[in-house]
Amino acid sequence: MSSPLPSNRKRSVGKALLVTLPVFLLMAMMLMGQGGLPTEGLRAISLLVTFVFIVVVFFLMARTGLTDRYRAVFFVTMAVAFVITFITNLIEVRGSMALSAANIARGETPFCPMVIPMTIIPAALTRTIIFPGRMLGGFADISTMIVLWLGVTLALGRGFCSWGCFYGGLDDGFSRIWKRRVIRHIPKRWSYLPYGVLVAIVVISALTLAPTYCEWLCPFKTVTEYNEVNSFKAAAQAVIFVSLFAGLVVVLPVLTKKRTQCGLFCPMGAFQSFTNKVNAFDIRVEKEKCTDCKRCEAVCPTFSVDSESISRGTTRISCTKCGKCVDACPQSALSYHIKGTPVAGNSGKARLFFLYPGFIFLAVFGSGMIYMALYRIMLLAKTGSMIQ
Amino acid sequence: MSRLKSVLGYAWALAALPIVLATFIGLNSWARGFAELTGLEISAWFSGGKTAQTVAHEGYVTTVHEPVFQGLIGETKKGYVQVKWTPSAGASLPNQLSDSIDFDGDGTPDFIVVLDTGSDRAELEPLTPLVLGVREVLNLGSERAVRVNLLNPKRR
Repeated sequence: MSSPLPSNRKRSVGKALLVTLPVFLLMAMMLMGQGGLPTEGLRAISLLVTFVFIVVVFFLMARTGLTDRYRAVFFVTMAVAFVITFITNLIEVRGSMALSAANIARGETPFCPMVIPMTIIPAALTRTIIFPGRMLGGFADISTMIVLWLGVTLALGRGFCSWGCFYGGLDDGFSRIWKRRVIRHIPKRWSYLPYGVLVAIVVISALTLAPTYCEWLCPFKTVTEYNEVNSFKAAAQAVIFVSLFAGLVVVLPVLTKKRTQCGLFCPMGAFQSFTNKVNAFDIRVEKEKCTDCKRCEAVCPTFSVDSESISRGTTRISCTKCGKCVDACPQSALSYHIKGTPVAGNSGKARLFFLYPGFIFLAVFGSGMIYMALYRIMLLAKTGSMIQ
Repeated sequence: MSRLKSVLGYAWALAALPIVLATFIGLNSWARGFAELTGLEISAWFSGGKTAQTVAHEGYVTTVHEPVFQGLIGETKKGYVQVKWTPSAGASLPNQLSDSIDFDGDGTPDFIVVLDTGSDRAELEPLTPLVLGVREVLNLGSERAVRVNLLNPKRR
């Protein structure tokens, strides 16, 4: 469902360039500050293309006033780049996507933020992390990933799910493939399922001292790594992973135009929802402007807008601040908002206050993945292999 | 009051960008600080437990880890002990390894484990009823480890 560009949100080219300048400078510093431009041709080209891509996307956000349209371009690109980079890296280092018992014993499993809710109770009671990774050192160690998660959570709350989660982009991408929704009605009660999954996996993980979600329910094992299939249990796990991926990340998003994994299943998303309470930003609805067209409710990918929330002038706690409802509202009744400030008259300023940390996180976090994926693709074109 | 809330709101929102930048710029230091401050370690169920004793042989070292009975509160009824063999520098492990293991440190062996390093198959001779059987054999490159299932003597 697209909407005409509301002319009051557009900026002139000059103003848009000015707004983009901080992103240009910060990203130049972040990307090229460590050792400058690589000397190897393919790497240098990949880095430059990544840099230009980042700056152009932000410029378009600033110029058009549309947030979600360009955020999604970057977010989906990051997710695809993550899969390419992660898999090629695994094959290069380990020779396979499969995780053997020896890899687990050596602590070679990369940590992902999805595990965090399951680790809290065991960490508090046993002073240990129930995950076969490393606290420090190596690829995606536990401390580094927790610090990254803490940073983005403090800055964006559940905005993490639309501005930082490398899995969310896959769901988001598939939800944009078809123009029309085939499945139009999903009962609201289903949107509480992630909280049920969260409670179940937190309790079971604490009782078994094992990361239950990773072992049995993570759809993204299909495109990252999975336990070596050498037993009936491992085969059953693989079948579950692939089925959940096909259903929740591919088929249902295509049919519903919703991020069904993020909105109907992901326990990390449910956990992250609570962090919206301790965050400076939210989305507000100016009831005076609202014509009750329900376009926002229809386009929200995570079931975070409904009549009840609109009547309260806000979104539900599960809002990922993607900006899709803000882009879609023909009356500009929805806008980014800074808590404690007046709702009316500050939307442009509030959006910018949110966009800088949100986009910078996405850009810095995603740039490494996009850069490496581009490099791997060019390597494939040049040598016939993505592996060095 | 509304003006104060507004100022605090803007201050909070303004802090978001420095938070993001500080997260990335100081990532390694923050991560080290987090690990040191919390003192968290990897659960012994995955790491194999801390080293309890090492025995030097000609060409290799046998490491017996502390038995793992970690529960959420207290200890579990069943657990395992990990025995690891590491070759000396420049050497490789012999084709067959055999060790008597005293996992509880009472001075008497609790089981004898024999490992064929070619096929990675282990045979176990329990010497006490606490020893249940081989849990898994791990090929760790030049090293090998065997995990042996146990009953917890404190929970019998």
